[in-house]
Amino acid sequence: MSLMGSSVAELFSAIDKLRAELLNNVEVLTDCQRVEGEISHGEILSLIENVILGIVTSLSKDEAPFLALPDRSNWANISFDSAIGLRMTLGSSVTTIRSDCPSSVTKFAQILKIFVVIYKLVQSNSYATKRDIYYNNTQLFGSQKTVDSIVDDISCMLKVPRRSLHVLATSKGLISGDLCYMEEDGTRIDCRSCSAAAAVSSNIAGIRNIVSHAKFIMIVEKDATFQRLLDDDFCTKLSPCIMITGKGVPDVNSRLMVRKLWDTLHIPILALVDADPHGIEIMCIYKYGSVSMSFEAHSLTVPSVMWLGLLPSDLQRLRVPEDVLIPLTKRDESKLSSLLKRPYLASQPEWQKEMELMQQSKVKAEIQSLAAIAPDFLTNIYLPNKLRYGGWV
Amino acid sequence: MLREIQQVLRFVQLLGKRRQQSGLNVKGGLLVLVWTETGPSVQSLNCAVAAAGPWCIGINMKALQPDLKECMFPCACPCLPPDPEELCAFTDLYGSLRLLLTFQMKDASPEWCARIETFLHTYSLANAKIKIHFKFKFSQQTFQRDFSVKIKNKAGGNQRSLILDVTCRTQPPECVKKGCWCQGGHPVLGDRLPLSIPPAAMDQGLFGELSIQAVTLLSPCVLQYPNLPTQLTHIQVLVYGPSNVPVTGPSTFFQNLPAHLDCQEVGLHGLHCSSFKDLVHSGGTVYTVEQENCEDPEQESSPAPIRQSLLLYIFLQHSDPFTYQLSDMMATEVLIERHLEDILNNNKQAVTKAVQTELKNTLKAQNQRKKKMRSAAEVILGSSLSIVSSSSNMDFRNACLHSMKMSDTYDLSASLRESLRRVTSWKFTPKNICYSAQVEEYPESDEPTRTEI
Repeated sequence: MSLMGSSVAELFSAIDKLRAELLNNVEVLTDCQRVEGEISHGEILSLIENVILGIVTSLSKDEAPFLALPDRSNWANISFDSAIGLRMTLGSSVTTIRSDCPSSVTKFAQILKIFVVIYKLVQSNSYATKRDIYYNNTQLFGSQKTVDSIVDDISCMLKVPRRSLHVLATSKGLISGDLCYMEEDGTRIDCRSCSAAAAVSSNIAGIRNIVSHAKFIMIVEKDATFQRLLDDDFCTKLSPCIMITGKGVPDVNSRLMVRKLWDTLHIPILALVDADPHGIEIMCIYKYGSVSMSFEAHSLTVPSVMWLGLLPSDLQRLRVPEDVLIPLTKRDESKLSSLLKRPYLASQPEWQKEMELMQQSKVKAEIQSLAAIAPDFLTNIYLPNKLRYGGWV
Repeated sequence: MLREIQQVLRFVQLLGKRRQQSGLNVKGGLLVLVWTETGPSVQSLNCAVAAAGPWCIGINMKALQPDLKECMFPCACPCLPPDPEELCAFTDLYGSLRLLLTFQMKDASPEWCARIETFLHTYSLANAKIKIHFKFKFSQQTFQRDFSVKIKNKAGGNQRSLILDVTCRTQPPECVKKGCWCQGGHPVLGDRLPLSIPPAAMDQGLFGELSIQAVTLLSPCVLQYPNLPTQLTHIQVLVYGPSNVPVTGPSTFFQNLPAHLDCQEVGLHGLHCSSFKDLVHSGGTVYTVEQENCEDPEQESSPAPIRQSLLLYIFLQHSDPFTYQLSDMMATEVLIERHLEDILNNNKQAVTKAVQTELKNTLKAQNQRKKKMRSAAEVILGSSLSIVSSSSNMDFRNACLHSMKMSDTYDLSASLRESLRRVTSWKFTPKNICYSAQVEEYPESDEPTRTEI
């Protein structure tokens, strides 16, 4: 039974209205949205072979081979597209990895090793996780982080999504609510369990037969908040809905899942994050993408994400007790200033206002601070009212 | 004769050491003339040692006490003064003589030439600011050599400043055409190791604090060619007393040292001490490094490794607040040298470990770089060949084979390996610390001028 019993229609009227608006925009944006087609195995193999041929050709000319990796961390290589988010520009600067330089030869070797692994996976149509790749040669790679970074570098270099490389990442996200789907291997996932959430799949591209009557999807920043909502039976009270968390900065699979749900269901996606610069940045990653994954923005971003809470204006409006408010640190202020300069904020005047309010008040608050008003305030008052009255920006 | 020359140098150095504290220059000239006088039956060898220049300012020959002179040359006989023309040429270069000591030895032998030359060369290596002129006349023949250091490097701890001759005497490889070649070396200062004085030495009057300071010098320098294969062929150990004057005579301790070193830890296959003959002529103790048997024919065809040698300086340091008279300090040095074997054996474990550490640290960076390049190259080649071999794309495979002008993947493997080694070996990375110059086609030789004995 949903929270408001007979007022289900009232509860979701604002949501339904938002959905209608979004669907209008979706029609406009249809041409802009890339329908992610599968890249064939042959194409992937061919791309890798071209890299190897380049190396052999260099050696045949008595030249030291090198690899040119697009620089994924440079803001200068990023442009903002309102339909997509942060995307990597064509002709972006590259980092040269030389085979004749002691400082880069190991990385060169690591990249080639991963090329071989990917080649073999694609050839045999099998999959491996990044963790598997690391543990197969820990001495060469040194750390899991090295493997993770190189896989993304290769994805960017070849201009193919990582999943096309047959390399999977262990997901860290959780999902719960009115949602059923089938994974590639035939496993049926039912997220409707009240007490436990399902792990986000590690093969999002393989998900089929998505069935959901959810009115909205709520992205929850933190696992702690997610668990609290789960314990409070939020998905039943605000049924039908879906909630998902990436447990902080979201991994690629969590972002892919959000995107997939948007592509399939076209329902409003609302973010519930702490009222602090870090939370806002996490929300921006879901909405506009990240610099490091900008080469894959079109499949990872959901520009329609709305900011449900916790808004800085909520803190004043709800008179959240001052003793649970935390002063902004120097780092917070610096991040806030940096966020305000981001190219996508120009198209979000309401977000700008909220952030400027935070700048002026010089305080931040976690979602848990609402418990200071009442223990069940979040689940029984705050969120239902927000959803009923369209309290998102 | 070497002892006498040694004493003179100690005298000048110890005097200079006192003045060094006031920051005066340590450069100057040293002249060593040795000539024979034919007597009725036995040839005597005359020797004159002269010094001039800033390094011996303060020496007052007239004030030299006869007993000090006796202390320096207890076994020598007085001799005629040297040819004034020889001295003139010397003073023209360095100014008026500050020191001239002459002595005569019986039992002249032409072998003294090589021994003195080696001694002076060893001295020059650790006292690079002193220009040495050596002339040996035996019968009607003359051997002459001037030791003038091209490239000096300071390597000093708190206790003393060392000016070392780091000139690389190895000709650069022919392959170095457009790039630069470092013509010097970069000494690495090791840790100071305190030594305990054995009872026998103490009974003879040796007290105070004794220690050794190690310095290593790898030559030639290949820092600018980090991928170049190198091969260490020799290690030479030179021991110097507290006055920076070389210790004479072979050292049993150092001759036996290789047996106690863990060569594997240092990254070497083995060390053995060179022959006595080599020791006499090269100064100090020389070890030959055993080379790895190359079983891999592919490796044999690679660019020939650059042969390197390592110079290990062992500087003895001594301080005793109760020894401050010059004659006492010189006597202490004689005592240290006399009991050196005993001292080293008394601290055998510590000295062995210190030498081990210095060798390991000096070779570590180079060995690690080589290992890194080698293992990365294996991965690069293995990965590339794996993809070529397992590809079903004939166009791709043929393109790779055709590019390298090979007919099959087996030949392709060897060809790629050789090519990768070739293109990476001579990678040049300029370093500010190197003494680089464009390689001259016919660089000047610093071989001694000699009319052969």
